[in-house]
Amino acid sequence: MTANIVDQQSILEERRLADRDATDLLRTLAALPDQHPSREAMRQQAIEAWLPLAQHLAHRFSGRGEPVDDLIQTATVGLIKAVDKFDPERGVEFAAYAVPTIVGEIKRHFRDHTWDVRVPRRLQELRLVISEAAGTLAQQLGRSPTVADLAGYLKLTEEEVIEGLEGARAYHAVSLQTPAPTGDRGTELGDLLGTEDSDLELAELRVALAPALATLGEREQRILTMRFYGNMTQSQIAERIGISQMHVSRLLARALATLRGELTEASLDA
Amino acid sequence: MAIDHDVVLLCVPANSAYLAILRTATAGIAARLQFTLDEIEDLRIAVDEACAMLLAVTLPGAELSCRFEIAKGVLRVRVSVPTAGVAPLPPAQSFAWRVLTTLAAEVTATTVDELAAIEMVSRGASGPPRLA
Repeated sequence: MTANIVDQQSILEERRLADRDATDLLRTLAALPDQHPSREAMRQQAIEAWLPLAQHLAHRFSGRGEPVDDLIQTATVGLIKAVDKFDPERGVEFAAYAVPTIVGEIKRHFRDHTWDVRVPRRLQELRLVISEAAGTLAQQLGRSPTVADLAGYLKLTEEEVIEGLEGARAYHAVSLQTPAPTGDRGTELGDLLGTEDSDLELAELRVALAPALATLGEREQRILTMRFYGNMTQSQIAERIGISQMHVSRLLARALATLRGELTEASLDA
Repeated sequence: MAIDHDVVLLCVPANSAYLAILRTATAGIAARLQFTLDEIEDLRIAVDEACAMLLAVTLPGAELSCRFEIAKGVLRVRVSVPTAGVAPLPPAQSFAWRVLTTLAAEVTATTVDELAAIEMVSRGASGPPRLA
């Protein structure tokens, strides 16, 4: 017990020191002009220094059906936003500023990603098990697993695995009622899907695609580029980025839907 | 379950709200053909993209047909709509085509007798060896 308390105290002390360093980093960062050559490296350092905070917050939301990796990823996005927008001149502690930003990002993730369709708990669990097994098997086999591979490994029937995969999709079905990203006047994604973008010439398309791509998150842009211009498979992308293949698939589908909406609107404006 | 030389036909209203049904059917069939998860997901996205293209060239109230042909472990998916002279299919250099040709082994598009069709072939090549 005593040893535990001592441990805890030394950890807290370490934490305090680390926090001070991290705060100093942010102050130095804020003082640097935008174009300063060491800015990027310092920003990186500041982000890394505060990563434990993002991880801690991510873990607080674990066990609610989202893979912890995804939560940490989302929390990190929140952290990066906080680092970029933090202004030490305002006299607010970074942590006090960052926590709501990070938690906000995680909550948004839940709002965007959680079950559109009420899926039984059994299927939610099945989905997690399948997602994990898919990762393990991909490593073992050196290729993406088949449903039969998964069934054998998990001691389930193929029907059950397919059912689990379907459950996984209900979870992230892009709702056609989601407001379109750039839409005003209450435009919904469904209204924008696949209207006339057909007579755009290639050059126009390139021009149109650039701003459309820019409306996607950095990670979605990367994934899209890797899949369609780098010819990487979903599994390879998953490994590179450090998320599950099922998550890659979900992000790809969503990015394409967003792009369709975007391109449509660009062509309507023309 | 071994399936070979089978044809599955599905017709839904040409409305994006029904695409989920086609995606699910696509995944279910591909999974039973021992496609890998990567291939299953790619094909789902390809069908989605192809249908989105077709919805752009038809009118509301039309019917979107989807034909799955299974032969020797190869899955051929053909989606089609009656064209309403609304617009031609996107040009071959468009991003949508880039998406399709990346995701499926073969893609062809035809417009014959006022019927626009996109056909995609997926071989499930990266999975375990299959018995002939």
